[in-house]
Amino acid sequence: MKFSVGEAVQTSGRDPVHHYRVPRYLRAKRGRIEAVHAAFPLADARAAGDPAPPVETLYTVAFAGDDVWPGGAEPNTVYHAELWESYLHPLETAP
Amino acid sequence: MSDHTHDHDDHGHDHPHDHGSPAAVMTARVNALIGALETRGVATDADVTTVIERFLAAAGPSNGARIVARAWVDPAYRALLLDDATAAIAALGLDMSHWAPVALRAVENTEQVHNIVVCTLCSCYPIALLGPAPQWYKSEAYRSRVVREPRAVLREFGVVVPDDRDVRVWDSTAELRYLVLPRRPPGTAGWDEDRLAATITRDALVGAAEPIA
Amino acid sequence: MSRLNDVGGLTGFGPIEREPDEPLFHSEWEARVFALNRLLMGKGLYNLDEFRDAVERIDPARYYGLSYYERWFEGVRTLLIERGIVPPETAT
Repeated sequence: MKFSVGEAVQTSGRDPVHHYRVPRYLRAKRGRIEAVHAAFPLADARAAGDPAPPVETLYTVAFAGDDVWPGGAEPNTVYHAELWESYLHPLETAP
Repeated sequence: MSDHTHDHDDHGHDHPHDHGSPAAVMTARVNALIGALETRGVATDADVTTVIERFLAAAGPSNGARIVARAWVDPAYRALLLDDATAAIAALGLDMSHWAPVALRAVENTEQVHNIVVCTLCSCYPIALLGPAPQWYKSEAYRSRVVREPRAVLREFGVVVPDDRDVRVWDSTAELRYLVLPRRPPGTAGWDEDRLAATITRDALVGAAEPIA
Repeated sequence: MSRLNDVGGLTGFGPIEREPDEPLFHSEWEARVFALNRLLMGKGLYNLDEFRDAVERIDPARYYGLSYYERWFEGVRTLLIERGIVPPETAT
């Protein structure tokens, strides 16, 4: 389990051609870990028929509306999505 | 898109074009597929019927209404529901594992917070608890817009959320399924659970409606 | 590139249409597709992610013109054909 509740993260910006569960509108976005769940087999690998898919921790990540839709978000709106660990990077914070 | 008058697409084969209704066409195709599976000993029509019956016996919006009504009258149950929804539904004899190994989470509407649920990537929904999702929930129109302008969408559903109240959008992108715990409507003091449950619609359980007395 | 199912934030899909007192299934064939899918996954012929992937692989030129359960049917049929369980000419 790589991330803890409250930790700042960034979602991967990758754009694969295969089955993948980071929606376009949440890619390369900064968020905060809102909950840590159990580990589940990675959807990408299961969809490809991998008989031994990686089992990764699933996180609920919260995204501020202004980070998701810069300049165009409704006020006081927070988005949440469940994302596998390999979909997330630590957010580099200023030194 | 096809320019034929019926709305199934041309499958690009040489067979004569079937001019039955879309439902008749699909019924024939489903029959053909199940027939092919029966011939090969994979599954029978009776097996399919059994699955439907068992599913509809176990799953439906009334399950959700029961859970919410219990949470409204019993603060300890409410706390359990918010902390461990799987345990909370088990306490009422409900179980989602008959269908798929997903986890359930309940999120609570309050004076300060309104929750709304979506699955932008497909149509994930707690079907094992509530039955199939409504068509609008599965539509591109809802899934595309509710993450762009949730308050505007809510207003179309008759739910007005002022700008100073928080909106939380939950996109079911993986193995969690959501149940919204709506606010108990005013004017229901002393109501029993059955009467309270009757105010809770399927739409309210995803945050698209607010129960009224 | 992202597939056509990934619609969060896209525009142009029109009004959200709601049907009062909508039934759980609109027709028997839809319920049977729903149940058949579950039955086949329960038998281990394919998993839910493979099913979603099969639906996402529907030819983009046809995808938005198919109804929800028409897409499900396509997904199930595709998986059965790809696995050699039924021949390609089945249920066209």
